[in-house]
Amino acid sequence: MSSSVYVTGVGMTKFARMPDRSFEEMGREAVRAALKDANIERSAVQEVFCGSALTGRSMGQRVLRDFGMTGLPITNVENACASGSTAVREAATAIRAGRCDVALVLGIDQLSRLGGGTIPGVETDIDPNLGMVMPAVYAMRARRYMHEYGMTREDLAEVAVKAHAAGKHNPYAQFRNEVTVEDVLASRMIADPFTLMMCCPTGDGAAAAILMSPQAARVRGADKIRIVGSSLQSGIYKTGHRDMVHSELTKRTAKLAYEEAGIGPEDVDIAEMHDAFTIAELMYYEALGFCAGGDAVSLLRSGRTRITGDICVNPSGGLLCRGHPVGATGLAQICESVWQLRGDAGPRQVDKPRVALTHCTGGGVSGLDHGSCAVNILVT
Amino acid sequence: MSETSVEYFPPTKPWEEFASGVKLIGMRCSHCGTVAFPAREVCSKCGRDDALEEKVLQGPGKLYTFTEVHVAPAGFPTPYVIGYVDMPDDVRVLGQIDGRVADLNIGQDVHLRIGVIRARKDGTQVIGYRFTGEAK
Repeated sequence: MSSSVYVTGVGMTKFARMPDRSFEEMGREAVRAALKDANIERSAVQEVFCGSALTGRSMGQRVLRDFGMTGLPITNVENACASGSTAVREAATAIRAGRCDVALVLGIDQLSRLGGGTIPGVETDIDPNLGMVMPAVYAMRARRYMHEYGMTREDLAEVAVKAHAAGKHNPYAQFRNEVTVEDVLASRMIADPFTLMMCCPTGDGAAAAILMSPQAARVRGADKIRIVGSSLQSGIYKTGHRDMVHSELTKRTAKLAYEEAGIGPEDVDIAEMHDAFTIAELMYYEALGFCAGGDAVSLLRSGRTRITGDICVNPSGGLLCRGHPVGATGLAQICESVWQLRGDAGPRQVDKPRVALTHCTGGGVSGLDHGSCAVNILVT
Repeated sequence: MSETSVEYFPPTKPWEEFASGVKLIGMRCSHCGTVAFPAREVCSKCGRDDALEEKVLQGPGKLYTFTEVHVAPAGFPTPYVIGYVDMPDDVRVLGQIDGRVADLNIGQDVHLRIGVIRARKDGTQVIGYRFTGEAK
């Protein structure tokens, strides 16, 4: 990145189903926590970027109104599951362009407002009319992966076990319980081979970060953690065959972020990745370059991706355990990365990480791998 | 059942029933050779819109992957199987597949048939293309 952008404050709500809270209140809780963490007044914020996907319009304005943060430029960003991480990239770009020195980035969604079940598809697209739902997309990837590499249902369950083993230590996580392979396999079937516990929960929450230019961060003595790579790509439309096991989109997006950061996957200490379903974590180990194609189960079994490992994946518990209020996820990943890089992550602290990678991808668009993918790389 | 209680998806009914079975009607771009289903107004590969022709997709297709869905929106009786099918000429088609997950294998041939794919809230049956492991 030509000039660095610093992350000087983060904050989030606990992720949970909170139908009795307003999303405005959740958003303000995250914003206040981030401002306090950055030790700045609201008046220091010059621009706001707000990522959300499923809750409503003018989300930034709705959250910030009662807090009196009005009149400034607010950009609302929708990019499905990558809404929050896209908002981070937009804020970093605005700072690097010299348009502002201090930006607030917020991610928020309240899925409990939608009722239960899977996230609704878009009726004008062909696949949802034929019976496609999000778990089915990943379930089909999982079945194909099993066919190509001999992965088992137990291997898929182990991903959820690992997620809970980390997330039980995270006070912001939607689930705080440990689970066993037997528990995971015994939960009800959603889309074969996925049982309920192999799918991320729907939930509500908000997360926020304060981004600053080098000058603004230095003046405040907050020039510690910076974003050194930030990439966004969209899925490529294929009318014919598409490999559903090796994610071309995540691989392409990660390559750009690594190049910008001047590092490789071997330099990453922790990764917060988009494990919406258990197969996702395994696929993205490979697409992010942590292991070769077909080696993801071996990497999982090696223990290297646990909180005690050298390439820890999802110390927060990930989407599977921390939760996935869609637009908030990218910012929750930034929060966890910052806490880990500072050494503030408590019982789930990874041993002295220096490089953190965040990865979000999503948006069910027929014929595309995914609608979008965003990768951010932070260093201390 | 009255006529008004049935509708089709896609509404353009992009299929034909031949003696040999059902075939989907897609399009082919004669500039770059790309075949796509359903037809659209521009070739998504080369961007040209002046040489698109109707193309009858040959079968059977090969089952690339599939799943059995147990939690679905209203109108889709669960469980049901859906899968991606690779047709000749490099066209991939998503569809529901007859039977249960244990009856199917990746790589097997599947054939088209016309049948119910969902029901609307008012009971209207939505009729469309779907796949079956049984040849006609």
